[in-house]
Parts: sequence; structure tokens; C-alpha cells
Amino acid sequence: MSSSKPLTGGGLLFEVLEQHGVEHVFGYPGGAIMPIYDALYDSSVKHFLCRHEQGAAFSAVGYARAAGKVGVCMATSGPGATNLITGLADALADSIPVVAITGQVATSAMGSDAFQEIDIFGLSLACTKHSFQVSNIDDLEDVLHQAFEIALEGRQGPVLVDIPKDIQQAEVTSRLEEFSHLTNKVQLPLADISNAIDILTHAKQPILYVGGGVGMANAIDEVRDFANQTGMPSVSTLKGLGAINADNENYLGMLGMHGTKASNLAVQECDLLVVVGARFDDRVTGKLNEFAPNAKVIHFDIDTAEINKRRFADAAILGDLKANLPLLSMSLNISGWQEKVQQMKADFGWRYDHPGSKIFAPAVLKEMSDLMPKNTCITTDVGQHQMWSAQHISVDDPCNFLTSGGMGTMGFGLPAAIGAQISRPHDTVIAVSGDGSIMMNVQELATIKRYQIPVKILLIDNAKLGMVRQWQDLFFDGRLSETDLADNPDFCQLARSFEIKAQTITEKSQVTEALEEMIDHQGPYLLHVKIDAKDNVWPLVPPNTANDKMMESV
Amino acid sequence: MNNYKLIIMTDDRQVVLERILQVTRYRGFLINGINAQVNTGNQIATIELYVSSERPIELLIDQINKLIDIKGVKVDNKADNKGAQQHSA
Ligand SMILES: Cc1ncc(C[n+]2csc(CCOP(=O)(O)OP(=O)(O)O)c2C)c(N)n1
Ligand SMILES: [Mg+2]
Repeated sequence: MSSSKPLTGGGLLFEVLEQHGVEHVFGYPGGAIMPIYDALYDSSVKHFLCRHEQGAAFSAVGYARAAGKVGVCMATSGPGATNLITGLADALADSIPVVAITGQVATSAMGSDAFQEIDIFGLSLACTKHSFQVSNIDDLEDVLHQAFEIALEGRQGPVLVDIPKDIQQAEVTSRLEEFSHLTNKVQLPLADISNAIDILTHAKQPILYVGGGVGMANAIDEVRDFANQTGMPSVSTLKGLGAINADNENYLGMLGMHGTKASNLAVQECDLLVVVGARFDDRVTGKLNEFAPNAKVIHFDIDTAEINKRRFADAAILGDLKANLPLLSMSLNISGWQEKVQQMKADFGWRYDHPGSKIFAPAVLKEMSDLMPKNTCITTDVGQHQMWSAQHISVDDPCNFLTSGGMGTMGFGLPAAIGAQISRPHDTVIAVSGDGSIMMNVQELATIKRYQIPVKILLIDNAKLGMVRQWQDLFFDGRLSETDLADNPDFCQLARSFEIKAQTITEKSQVTEALEEMIDHQGPYLLHVKIDAKDNVWPLVPPNTANDKMMESV
Repeated sequence: MNNYKLIIMTDDRQVVLERILQVTRYRGFLINGINAQVNTGNQIATIELYVSSERPIELLIDQINKLIDIKGVKVDNKADNKGAQQHSA
């Protein structure tokens, strides 16, 4: 079939994708990428037609995060390419390996304001780890290999390859025998290991601060071993959730703005922070110069630029966490400190009592967490439901909790769940969304319908942009500006029009049965949960405040 | 404001200059001057970048170093002192 035709740039793209083990791509066609879609016709790579390029980008992100592989998305020039940008920015902020392929107008037309011409290469500089524009067919193969290598090397991230239409159509005349590998620039530490050991040995109240880098470095076993051997109490960022097993008695949960009281108090009191794959994000630290004020810092990271960026490191250990963390493993004599944090954990545990018959979202999420099968992958959107999910759902691996951390992008949850489900067809995938967020990529219900993707959607409906409403109530004198969503569509009818089974619940007494029905259902399902618009996420560290000064109610 | 002169060694690749300028602006450094000869067909380009900022220069060096094509970044300490003196004078 294809063997009778000469190999074109478009055909070469799919050959390279296959060489890198890519089985699935997410995309949307258009004029300037037609030769690539023509080559797709002959390829064994399976393409999922999303209903918006942003959906394609987020599905690629969800795919990458759930499976630990590179996610691939593609779009046409101009508006197709610009629609990818939010997804690329999200992948950059959360260090997710994604390769985005964009069609571009033909080289002869470039720079002439041609139809659907945009300088996506220029736009990509701020929202990718690296990008390429291919100007010669002879460069294409090498560029594509490099794109995959760069996406995965060191701190992972998105790479964009912009391919003009004539390059897609050009005949490939020579093939590479081997492609050139990147030279690794990570510089290994000189003496900091012994310095770190010295600091660690003298610590009386140490805390292990676990970030998203742990999962990305495949160092979950090493971090758990380290936590067990040292007996060090641990806390997690939003992206680190799952790295430490929730049944570790010294694990205190998430820290930061909506972190647990025990985590935040313990961190404020500690005399040493051992930071693994985390970056002192402002949502974690609260007021930076009052964060963990008495702590020395041992900082493990793959990215040199994170060391001393927001907090000075007394010892910095650069490079592969998997190899480096065991170098510091030792047993510590900190039983008094352990008892203290365990007491805090017991004193400040979550409470699920909630007056009235209206549904309490934290209780629903906790119950769902208890009911869901092992290895369920959760995705979330952004808002109160996201923070409640982080607080009340327990996962045992960061690849089972996919949330837009760095960017906080509404619209992430549904397409990310689609990508996750495609990468892990045998696991349950549940998107926890909000009534505001779901509408941001609601068109992806059509993707679910088309491919019969059995994603479950738990829609927490407060008829509000709840998180913004909460801030308006707390910090803007209750002046509720543009956060009411009382005119939401009928979500169940909407789901049914995409052949997705759906149910609404409004009372506590309905929760258990409805959750069971959703989880047991074979195909896609939307469970619409109406909650009280006034419920808030607690605790909350107000902006520019130290983490021990959290609010716990109004 | 502190003044610095950076000497950047880079693979002579497409838009490397634009990438450096973008990172420099985004990370909070003002570009006061630049000497660059790029896209010469040679493999390696050297770029001299004069910047000023309240922020520690290490933050910018680390970020420029992260760009894929960069081989190395150095601060020219002599230029740093001279620049600072000129400003305080
Ligand atoms: C794309 C995007 N636009 C705006 C915001 C700001 N924002 C953060 S949370 C939120 C409200 C989300 O509403 P909903 O999805 O209903 O979640 P809830 O907080 O009600 O649970 C908004 C508007 C954002 N994070 N992302
Ligand atoms: Mg809402």
C-alpha cells in the first residue's frame, strides 16, 4: 500500500513516532497539516479526534501522566496551534513530557500573513521546554528524535515541532543511521552529600517535603524506604500526593494553602526540611520569609535552577533522585518528634460531620476513595472540588492523581481523564470536576461518545465558581462578582445527549448507592452531585500569611 | 540595581538569541546591551549580554543554562564591578 508511494515528511513523522513506541496521538486536522493526516491514513498509530485542540493537548498530558510515557498531540497552523498553547503551558508548569506537532503554512508563504499563519514558533518560546521549526526535509528526522529526547531528559517538559506544509509533502531522500543524543548538562554535586549527612545527623525535628519530582523520577520506592529508615515525618505537595503511602503513621498529608493543619504546623516547627523534587511554590510556602523559619534545607532536585530559587539550600543534591536519596538513608533518633507529630495528626484529623441533609463534598470524596478499585486514576479540574479531592482522596501513586498544579487550569479534568483512560484501558478513571470547570472542555463529551471511553465523571455542582466565590466572601467583603452559575445547563441531559449514563443526587442518603452505581458501570457515567453553594474549603492559609496562621472556619 | 556582563557560549542554532532575550526579560533582568554574532555557519556562537537587576545573577545564569542549546554561561566579574561603580558614581 504505502510502499508503492515514496516516503514523505508526513510519513516519516509516523515512522519516528513508531520508533519511539507511540501508539496513540490526540489531534485535530486542518489545511496546513493535511499531508500529515494523509500519512496517518497509512500509519498504525491510532489517532483520537478530540473536539478542540486544547482537549487534544490535555488528553496528551493526561496520557503522559497516567502512563509515564510521552504524550503526543497535533494541530493545524494558526488557530489550531494557538489552541494547543494552554495545554503546553500546563505541561511546562507541571514538567510533563509532551510532543506537539503543528502544521505550518508552506515555507514560501511564511512571513506573508498567509491564511492561518501564526508565529507559533515564537509563541512557543514561553510555553515549551524547547521548540523547533523545520525548514529543510533533511532535518526533519533528527529534529523529531530530539523532540522526544528533550521531552524526557532531565526535568521533563513539552516540546513543539512546527512543520511547514511543503516539508510534510517533500520526499525523504536520506535516512539517519543513528540520531545524535543530547549531552546531559546536569552537573553532579561535589561535596554536598557529606554536608547533607552532617546536617541530617544533627536534626532533631526533621520533615520530608515530597514533591511531584518523586513520581517523575520513578523514585517512589526510594522515597518510601527513606521515610521508613529515617522515620522522618513527611508532607506532600499537590503533585506529590501518592508518593508516600497514606498509611505511613508519620505521613501528615498535603502542606500549604489548603494543607492539613498537622502538616503546616509541623513544617513551621521543624528544624530541617529534606526537600525531594519540590520547588517551594508560593501555594506551598505561604509568606515565604516566614515559611519553616527555623529549618535548614537539604534540597534534592534534577533542575539546578530550582536550587536557591526561592529558598536557600544548606545542602543541594543535584541529579537523579533514585540514585541520590539512598545515599542519605540512616536511622534517626527522633522518637519524641514522631510522637508529637502523630499526636497532631490525631488531634487535627478530618471531620465529616455536616449538619442537614445536603450533601457534603468532602464526605462524598472520602467515600469514593474507600470504594474505588485499586489503581483507580483520578483527574480533577480546578477549584474547591480540586482541593477537596486532594484532601480526601487517598491514592498510592502520583500517576493516580492527575491535577493541574502549576497552572491551575480549569478544563483540565475531562480531557486528561480521556487521555489517562486510553493509556490505561483496564483501570478505572474518574474525573472529579466542577460545574464551572466542566464547561471549559465540555465538547470532549463527544470524544467519550465517539470512542466509547468508559471515563466516570463526578461533577460537584455548587452552582458557583466556588473557589472564587469563597475568596470574594472571605477577602472581598462578600461582594460576589460574576461567580454565580445558577443558570447551569441540565448536566444529566447534556451527558445523555452524548450517550453517557447520568444521574443527579441531592441528599446525603443517596450517596453510597450512587457512587457504587457509577463505579460499577461498564461504560462512561456522569454522577451529578448537588451541594450547598456556601461550603468552603478548610483549612485555608490567607494570602501572604504564614502557614501556621490558617483559617479553619468563618 | 546591579550590572552584570554575561558571556554565553552556545550552539549556533535557530533563534537561540531570541530564547536568551525572552528568558532574560521574563526572569526580571533588564537588557542594557548585547554583542552577538549568530547564524554564522560556525558551530559555536559567543554572546555577550549586559544586564541589570535587583535579583541575584545566579538566578538568570541557571535559567539561561537550562536552554537546550547553551554550552555555558559565565559572569565577567571585572565588568560587573566596573558597571556597579559607574552606576553608583
Ligand atoms: C482557565 C481558568 N480560568 C479561570 C480560573 C480561575 N478560577 C480558579 S477556581 C475557579 C472556579 C472554578 O469553579 P468550579 O469548576 O465550579 O469549581 P468549584 O470551585 O466551584 O468547586 C476559577 C474561575 C482558572 N483557574 N482557570
Ligand atoms: Mg462550582
